[in-house]
Amino acid sequence: MVGSALKRLMAEYKQLSLNPPEGIVAGPINEENFFEWEAMILGPEDTPFEGGVFRTTLNFPTDYPMSPPKMKFVSEMFHPNIYPDGRVCISILHSPGDDPMGYETSAERWSPVQSIEKILLSVMSMLAEPNPESGANVDASKMWRDNQEQFIKHAEKLVRKSLDLPENL
Amino acid sequence: MRSLLLTGSSFALTTAVVVNAFIQKKQFFPAVVYLTTKSSPCIAILYLQAFVLVLLFGKLMRKIFFGQLRPAETEHLIEKSWYAVTDTCLAFTMFRDDFSPIFVASFTILLFLKCFHWLLEDRLSSVQLVFGFEYAILATVVLTVFLKYILHSIDLMSDNPWENKAVYMLYIELITGLVRVVLYLCFTFIMVKVHTFPLFSVRPMYLTMRQFKKAVSDIVLSRRAIRNMNTLYPDATAEDLASTDSTCIICREEMHTTNQDNAQPGVPAAGTNKKLPCSHVFHASCLRSWFQRQQTCPTCRLDVLQTQQRAPAPTPAPQNPPQAGIPPGPQFAPPFPPMFHPPQAMWPGAAPPPMQAPSNTQGPSTQSPPTQSTQPNTFLPPNQMFVPPLMCPLPPPPPFNLSGLSDEQVQLMEGQERRSVEARIECLRNIKVLLDAAVMQMSQYAVVMQAQGDAFTIPPMPDLSPSPQENQPEQTPTIPPTAEPTTSSEHQVETLPPQVVPVDDSDSNPTDATELRRRRLANLDAKMNQ
Repeated sequence: MVGSALKRLMAEYKQLSLNPPEGIVAGPINEENFFEWEAMILGPEDTPFEGGVFRTTLNFPTDYPMSPPKMKFVSEMFHPNIYPDGRVCISILHSPGDDPMGYETSAERWSPVQSIEKILLSVMSMLAEPNPESGANVDASKMWRDNQEQFIKHAEKLVRKSLDLPENL
Repeated sequence: MRSLLLTGSSFALTTAVVVNAFIQKKQFFPAVVYLTTKSSPCIAILYLQAFVLVLLFGKLMRKIFFGQLRPAETEHLIEKSWYAVTDTCLAFTMFRDDFSPIFVASFTILLFLKCFHWLLEDRLSSVQLVFGFEYAILATVVLTVFLKYILHSIDLMSDNPWENKAVYMLYIELITGLVRVVLYLCFTFIMVKVHTFPLFSVRPMYLTMRQFKKAVSDIVLSRRAIRNMNTLYPDATAEDLASTDSTCIICREEMHTTNQDNAQPGVPAAGTNKKLPCSHVFHASCLRSWFQRQQTCPTCRLDVLQTQQRAPAPTPAPQNPPQAGIPPGPQFAPPFPPMFHPPQAMWPGAAPPPMQAPSNTQGPSTQSPPTQSTQPNTFLPPNQMFVPPLMCPLPPPPPFNLSGLSDEQVQLMEGQERRSVEARIECLRNIKVLLDAAVMQMSQYAVVMQAQGDAFTIPPMPDLSPSPQENQPEQTPTIPPTAEPTTSSEHQVETLPPQVVPVDDSDSNPTDATELRRRRLANLDAKMNQ
């Protein structure tokens, strides 16, 4: 399995390097190990996260693309669909067999047709439109629902942090 | 307290006796002899000491293996050991001649072992039973993890992809699930018999059963999907690949069309591409890996098993896979000579052969149904030997009733049929060449006769039929060595299919004729010169 996974990851790396999608930079941390990737995601425009550059890591299983990778934000995040420890809770990263939230249809789950690019684009759209119904971070979900202004303020703080800028200017 | 006092006094007495003996006798050997043989009080004290030592040893064992005994257990133990002791004392009476220290020692060991077994039994029938089962369940988990670890390390060691790993994982899940279900069932059964219904184990038991059911269905579904893939789904053709971008979306690599010559039915060749019912194309190997996890189309999530059940799809038939794309008949039939009938006449259940014979065919043969098995083959009476072939159109024999034969038999029959037909055609060609030669000879004779006028008077008889002496030199070069001898040729004329002859005219004939003609002329010249 390792051979085919490696081939596919290399093909995707090539594809991402040749025509990278807007706002996304991704590649293996170390060319020796193609199963550990790092990706930079630009906060989408017209959202609380606009302007931020968020660092994430992707962990690929050896039977990729049959099983989905695991994605984690290294930068500090405060988002309804990102666990406090940085793990991303998004249906495209769940294999069809298990259903952690109990309401996702298998149509939006992982399939070998998905790719790293699609995952990162989905995460970008998730940043733009949080889904407070399946809350991974309950505090963030609550704040997003009840007090959007405070949420936006918090998000802007995180954006500044991600850019290594002082919190208050 | 009392036992402590007893033990202490026993040790003191023994020490006193031993010291006394050594003081009296001064040396080791006489002292031992004195202790064991001379004085009976000394022997009694030593026996008592041995008994105390054995009791201490037993207490040590009990401490190690059982810890503190509960009062009920002690009571139980004493009660049982009394019976055991009396039983053994009765046994002593039978073996009183063999009474010796060894006998007593073995009796003591037996008594201790018995005691420990009773204790063990008492302990097991209580709470320990629950813990024992819990440990057994944990052991299966450990085993599963260990087996999976082995599989993963094997996979890591080899650089090549190990496609069967997922299958082995599924089977490990299945087996451990089965073991756990059996363990839980045993546990519940025993608990119900011994105590009461174990309510606390209902939830884990339910979970285990569900897991087991899932493992079974996983295996069944993935096996079915892979079998479907191998037998039902067609191989992607070049057009299929051209209509998509010819990239397998699972591994992101190019798909190439493969030649199916060496592919066996049911087993896709390496690098084969498969087309799903939703007309998405993938590498067969990629698709198999995915079907081991999910039975859906990777692109459109079509449930391949459900569609197969809904649609009236062809039933999987491994010996006759539809992906070959061609009806089975021509696949098995040998290539027939072009002038002969198409092979469907040989096939069981096929339509009756098209009767291409001219209008003067005998009537009944054309209307004979193909299922009539024993239709007489000879349409010509044997005395019609010299009728020219075109005048006696002979329809091919109607097919036998082949429904009772297996495929192999039909194939064998076809092979024989074909060989005999070829031999027949070969024979007929030779006859035709000979006949042409004879006709030409006749015309040459006539020409020569006319040219010579009345120089010779030749009897008419040799003109009509070629003499054997003249025929001999022409016969040898025209007949190939493998052909059948000419003796059978007359016999073959009557069964000649009418279609054979006109086709024959085009090939092989002209060259042979000119050659013959040249030889014939040379022959004649030589004769005339004589």
